[in-house]
Amino acid sequence: MRKSLVMVAALAFAAPVLAQGFTPTRPVEVVVHTGPGGGSDVLARAVALIIEKEKLVPVRMQVANKPGGGGTVAAAYLAEKKGESHTIGFFTGVWLTNPLTIEKANVTLKDLTPIARLVLEPAVIAVKADAPYKTLGDFVNAAKQKPGELKQSGGSITSRDNVVRQQLQKVSGARWAFISFPGGGERIAALLGGHVNMMVIEPAEAGEHIRAGNIRVLAQVSDKRLPAYPGVPTLKEAGFDVTPVPQVRGVVAPPGIPRENVVYWEGVFKKLSQTESWKKFLADNQFEDGYQGAADLAKFYDDFSQQMRVVLQEAGIKLVR
Amino acid sequence: MKAPGADFWSGLALGGLGAYIVFEASRWEYLGPDGPGPGFFPLWYGIAMVALSLALMIFTFKENESVDWTGARRALGAWAAMAVSVAALKLLGFLICFAALTFFIVAVMYRRPPAVAAITAVASAAAFYMVFPLALGVKLP
Amino acid sequence: MEILSGLMQGFAVALQPMNLLWCLLGVVLGTVVGVMPGLGPPATIAMLLPLTFLMNPSSAIIMLAGIYYGAKYGGSTTAILLNVPGESASVATCIDGYQMARKGRAGPALGIAAIASFIAGTFGVLGLMLVAPPLAKMALAFSSPEYFALMSLGLAMVVLLAGRSMIKALLATLVGLWIAGIGIDPFSTTARFTFGSRELLSGLDFVIVAIGVFAIGEVLANMEGREAVKALPVPKGLRNLLPTMQDMKDSRFAFANGSIIGFLIGVLPGAGSTIASFISYGVEKAVSRRPEEFGKGAVEGVAAPEAANNSETGGALVPMLTLAIPGSSTTAILLAALVLWGFKPGPLFIPENPAMFWGLVASMYVGNLMLLVLNLPLVPLFAQVLRAPAYVLYPAILGISVVGVYSTSGSHFDVWLLAGFGLMGYLMRKLDYPAAPLILGLVLGGALERALRQSLMMSEGSLSILVTRPISAVMLSLAVLILLIPLFNKFNHWRLRALEK
Repeated sequence: MRKSLVMVAALAFAAPVLAQGFTPTRPVEVVVHTGPGGGSDVLARAVALIIEKEKLVPVRMQVANKPGGGGTVAAAYLAEKKGESHTIGFFTGVWLTNPLTIEKANVTLKDLTPIARLVLEPAVIAVKADAPYKTLGDFVNAAKQKPGELKQSGGSITSRDNVVRQQLQKVSGARWAFISFPGGGERIAALLGGHVNMMVIEPAEAGEHIRAGNIRVLAQVSDKRLPAYPGVPTLKEAGFDVTPVPQVRGVVAPPGIPRENVVYWEGVFKKLSQTESWKKFLADNQFEDGYQGAADLAKFYDDFSQQMRVVLQEAGIKLVR
Repeated sequence: MKAPGADFWSGLALGGLGAYIVFEASRWEYLGPDGPGPGFFPLWYGIAMVALSLALMIFTFKENESVDWTGARRALGAWAAMAVSVAALKLLGFLICFAALTFFIVAVMYRRPPAVAAITAVASAAAFYMVFPLALGVKLP
Repeated sequence: MEILSGLMQGFAVALQPMNLLWCLLGVVLGTVVGVMPGLGPPATIAMLLPLTFLMNPSSAIIMLAGIYYGAKYGGSTTAILLNVPGESASVATCIDGYQMARKGRAGPALGIAAIASFIAGTFGVLGLMLVAPPLAKMALAFSSPEYFALMSLGLAMVVLLAGRSMIKALLATLVGLWIAGIGIDPFSTTARFTFGSRELLSGLDFVIVAIGVFAIGEVLANMEGREAVKALPVPKGLRNLLPTMQDMKDSRFAFANGSIIGFLIGVLPGAGSTIASFISYGVEKAVSRRPEEFGKGAVEGVAAPEAANNSETGGALVPMLTLAIPGSSTTAILLAALVLWGFKPGPLFIPENPAMFWGLVASMYVGNLMLLVLNLPLVPLFAQVLRAPAYVLYPAILGISVVGVYSTSGSHFDVWLLAGFGLMGYLMRKLDYPAAPLILGLVLGGALERALRQSLMMSEGSLSILVTRPISAVMLSLAVLILLIPLFNKFNHWRLRALEK
């Protein structure tokens, strides 16, 4: 009897030590799906720097660029690293939508291990400063009168830019053209050069042009007003009953990793989201804090996929899953 | 009638490629609601490819400028060696495969004595090791 | 004058000993990176980013910019000596540069490349300094129809690169267009010509095709001969290792044409140094008094593309610094660096950060000078590479190609593709299909299709948009004229023959 008491006592002391579980012992590979300088790459590097500064992780975080396939190569790479404890990846919205439309994109977020959702990227609807539209309503009405004539520049047809367009078109009955430009710079150039009438743009990209007086913001694509744009109505406030589909960025890990790893990484990113450096980073880049833990992220993914399926189908894009 | 020359055959091959392109392109959307679809461009250059290939075949049918294939065996042999080397990269890594390829080229292609081949192979591999991973931090396959 | 005072301010910053050191480090690193095929400025800059946080931003941008334009100097070295394009912009240099090396004129080729790069690089900085904001505004007038016309103009250059068989050149171009189309169509998410492979979803990297077809194809072709001991003739004596006065005279126009075309194309966001170098090469050949020399080792065939790809860096910085619009992957990461350091690039960047802008401009003058001083004396040294016996050199070329390709993507699949394109390059050589049009088609194909579809979307399906807009109409007419040149020549030929009878 005494022996077992001792055993239980020993276990009770040992348990917290055991539960301390995982800490990385060699450099951690951070997978991104863009080349150097691309959106994910820059975010990953910034996060690595903040983590280092705040000493949240005892080893180096090294960014590994795995571009290609519109994000599918990076996702597949992570899926292949089953059980690997020193690899994580940064995902963006394309990781979520690719599996819906591209046959070969067979790695969904559920096939990997969700860790955390970090950022929500807001967007604003902008026109050139000398355009005759003062509100979103003006633009939509003009589009109604000349169906198909007005033009919007944006990314690929599954990008958030087009999703917003599809939603607005559906709810207003107006119709305008969408022109894909692979590079963000080209989209802005098209707007500034007067070749398109409107675009959905991220506040960080727009900021300086607004300050210089080149473009004007009509509405913001979010549920509540951003601190940087107190005077700009949201879509709902502007009279369009549309639920904005969020553009997210977050962290995933390869499949099949032990529970304690997930807890560890979740802890790291939770702490990250609470640091001052991170808050400053978000403010500087005009991102919204979209922190969600692993379980919430998994649920978010389901909701998001459902929402996207509906939108894409209405846009006439073929779904493969 | 003389047998058709190399140009004829390459023209035929390209014509085949062109036909394949046209076939694939016809399966895709030619003109969508928002503008030309994925099939638009390939269809046109596929057709151009077929047309030009036919022209090539017709114009060179009579000529029999034969290509000098005498050295081809060596060149293709070298390529085969390279292909084997690339195939083995995942298993054996760059240094070994490269040294082996170098050895092959020196000894077989250029008929140098095995000792020279071996030295060259090792020296080259060493040089690569020093320059790339050590000095520049570039990973070798 | 404002510009003069700004420049004085800039030199005050750039000539500080620490900044001179950073500049030197940047350009040397850039040169090394440029020499290596596959490894490029974007990856290098990305790797150095953490280091830059310990420096002050002015010094950091001086160093990073040094890497950017330094790489252009380096890319020509392997292009000329080994027919391996170190940078995608160096492909045009391979055409005549390597031929010059084969004739024992590697030294003059390298020298002219360095000199052209210096002249054009300086011109590019001058342009950046003098006309940046107004030029950027004008560049905004360029949109899809104009890009389509520009790409068509570039493709029309095929006619000038043709060599003996026009049909074969055109076929090669079409194959290039096809390869460019492999991948996911951005407008519709349809996967085209991917043969079910995931790796091909994002298309083929241009570098893989170029190195495979040029470098490996060349090595394989050379393997046919058993007895080649020395790979290429090495000139003896210092005089033969540097360009002659005659070379400099022949290249006069090339310097000018390359500088101007490179800079203007650089200003256009989205049009890169590869296009600039090819167009410049084409123009040079078109106005040359001895066009038949091109492709066989004409020195101006090296000077023109080298000048173009260097002044393009100055041009690319124009939209980046005035509108925060990146024109290439390198400018994209430079922009990202600026953002990470806490700056806000945009129209107000230059007025609000004059010290940084002028410091950068001044440092670029200094950097180009450093590169000239570094590269010229190194020319004889580099030329000695050719002394190596064939059996050492050729495997080394194969090895460098493989490492270079692998370093960009870390994918074995890409190395396989490289081998495949090497075989293709060899076959093309044997069957007399010219490689340059293939590359041209590959480089321009994607942009051409995108621009066409965007234009048609803008005009709701009407092709007239291409000719009603003045800029695109002019360029398209030029393209058509160029395409008609061979017909014109044939007609002339026929007429002369008729007169003889």
